[in-house]
Amino acid sequence: MKLRFGQSTCARNRQTRSKSRVLHFAAVVLPALSGIVLPGCERNVSSKPTGTPVTIATPLGLPTVPIPVHNPVTADAIALGRKLFYDRRLSNQSTLSCASCHLPSHDFSDPHRISLGFHGAHGTRHAPTLFNAAYLPSQFWDGRAASLEAQVIGPAFNPVEMDNTAQGVVANLEKDPEYPALFQKVFGTPDITIERVENAIASYERTLLSGNSAFDRYEFGGEKTALTAQQIRGLAIFRDPNRGNCAACHTINAHYALFTDGKFHNIGEGVDDEGKFDDTGRFDRTHLASDTGAFETPTLRDIAETGPYMHDGRLKTLDAVIQYYAGQGNSNPFLDKEIKKIHLSAQDRGDLVAFLKSLTGNTPLDEKPAPERAVHP
Amino acid sequence: MKPHLKIVACLTLTVSAAMSGCSKSSTRHATMPPAAPAPNYFKVDPATAGSVSGSIRYQGPRPARKPVDMSNEPACVDANHGKVYEDSLVVGPHNALANAFVYIEKGLEGKTFAPAPSPVTIDQKGCWFRPHVLGVQTGQTLQIVNSDPVTHNIHPMPQVNREWNHSQGSGDPPMNHRFTKAEVMIPIKCNIHGWMHAYVGVLDHPYFAVTGDDGKFTISNLPPGTYTLAVWTQTLGDQQQTITLAPRGSARVDFTFHGK
Ligand code: HEC
Ligand code: HEC
Repeated sequence: MKLRFGQSTCARNRQTRSKSRVLHFAAVVLPALSGIVLPGCERNVSSKPTGTPVTIATPLGLPTVPIPVHNPVTADAIALGRKLFYDRRLSNQSTLSCASCHLPSHDFSDPHRISLGFHGAHGTRHAPTLFNAAYLPSQFWDGRAASLEAQVIGPAFNPVEMDNTAQGVVANLEKDPEYPALFQKVFGTPDITIERVENAIASYERTLLSGNSAFDRYEFGGEKTALTAQQIRGLAIFRDPNRGNCAACHTINAHYALFTDGKFHNIGEGVDDEGKFDDTGRFDRTHLASDTGAFETPTLRDIAETGPYMHDGRLKTLDAVIQYYAGQGNSNPFLDKEIKKIHLSAQDRGDLVAFLKSLTGNTPLDEKPAPERAVHP
Repeated sequence: MKPHLKIVACLTLTVSAAMSGCSKSSTRHATMPPAAPAPNYFKVDPATAGSVSGSIRYQGPRPARKPVDMSNEPACVDANHGKVYEDSLVVGPHNALANAFVYIEKGLEGKTFAPAPSPVTIDQKGCWFRPHVLGVQTGQTLQIVNSDPVTHNIHPMPQVNREWNHSQGSGDPPMNHRFTKAEVMIPIKCNIHGWMHAYVGVLDHPYFAVTGDDGKFTISNLPPGTYTLAVWTQTLGDQQQTITLAPRGSARVDFTFHGK
């Protein structure tokens, strides 16, 4: 435990940005480690890619991908990020890559209800799709990471997920004959740091986009035959505040549709018979009672391919999800008021399921390299 | 901004791992009733206890039974192999009235009874609540089972107890619920299937019964005394009669409900 803190402090020191929080943290938690000098902590290595920034082409139905100033996307950064994404050496004992839980063949989500962690230890949540995560204002079901860059450290340091440490990752990658040259190509020097790993993976994640679905061609492409009559009815129900009311949270804008408002809502999923949540979701971050059992609205892109559903993967099929909403969820003191507005007839339910199946994009196979091909031996 | 976040992420990851463990057990504890001093439960003396029994009849026209339309839920149609009829008025042979809820309404004031230890079960089977009318004691467990291939959302609509609704998918484990206050009757519906209805009577004593197709009821192990015996029916209103039960007595009370 001490080592893990020590190493990540080192990683932060490398950035030489001393925010008050860092100092506070160090003062409170690390007095015992303050005398230890960790190798490699003194140098200041830039983690900004140096090549020519590229624009990420967006498929029909998606807005421009937001790119942070400190991490411009370059072709080399995407390539490096992709390689890292499939590299099992990001985990302790090289057992898991990001793709082990975000399976390209499962539209970058996990067919298991709860993601199996390192050595098969159980986590508590279902791994969501990474498609269009680039647009989310915060990452994870409880929004605990504010960016794709900040999110990488989540899986890599979550003992249940990848059980590794910053230094462990760096040491693993430094042993590889190819990586220093690749890092040099992207960042100008061959140094391998955890920030560089994060930035490269984030750049790759920004290319995981799903759009140009039948829905997009109908809604934004003027192709009136792209949806079936049943799907068109389903879309109307999805939007109707007195029937599906789905678009209240799974938003559709005038020129694009992310199917998420990026906000946190309690839809009653995961509450027990006594009205209590084992996983209190957003509350863990804010400690606001009203956030109890609230989770970040997930996108519905490629939803037919990414089951099981919900933060705990409890609902196995889209039918089950729609039936869940048709029953107006599970009552609890923090249930979002929008859920009470849902009224679905049996036909509405069938139409909604048909509509959800129109949200599968046509992302080329090349975005989904077979893990065998991509994982480094 | 970024280093901030990482500390938060790093710290909370470790801390939350530790916390989620204890918060789990603390929620479990929190749901247990607080360790109040054991209530002074009334002990029925078997040497003096008696019983009240009788039958409930229906007089009047037999309205044609209304078939229930489940056609928009094929799985429910399949589960029933044929027509399903509304069960708001069920009259058996010899004008016997089924589904009447018979209970002691007055006469037990001041006595506290231990909740029955075994649960009462309501099953959602064939997209139908079984039984249609049932009784539980306050504090007794109502076990809710879904035997259907579809999701149900059970929704009791009490006036004095807490209202709640909970979805139960096919194959989900039974749910357990306890009512805290006496209330006759609490309608129950399924939020998904509009034709599904049940009624649960909650009493703070064990003296209640529901008539079957023979219209008969028996309430036993009742201490001697004077009581108001009440009958609730879904569509024919309520009736009361006063009874006096001698030690080891057995009272017989019949009721007749008139249809229009
Ligand atoms: C052991 C399985 C596992 C591995 C390995 C894993 N993840 Fe995840 N991932 C999850 C789970 C589970 C969640 C949801 C966690 C939560 O919300 O608390 C998640 C969430 C995410 C999210 C947030 C998406 C959203 O919609 O909020 C991103 C982005 C992500 N992972 C990227 C990665 C990357 C990049 C890697 C490799 C460095 C990785 N994951 C490795 C299981 C895994
Ligand atoms: C009040 C906001 C809100 C409304 C209204 C709403 N949703 Fe959701 N939806 C959410 C949230 C939040 C989650 C994640 C909840 C969780 O995991 O506990 C979610 C999850 C889902 C999922 C599962 C996604 C996944 O990747 O696991 C589907 C599918 C879905 N909603 C479809 C719908 C449909 C269809 C409607 C309309 C009938 C609807 N939603 C209405 C907020 C909402």
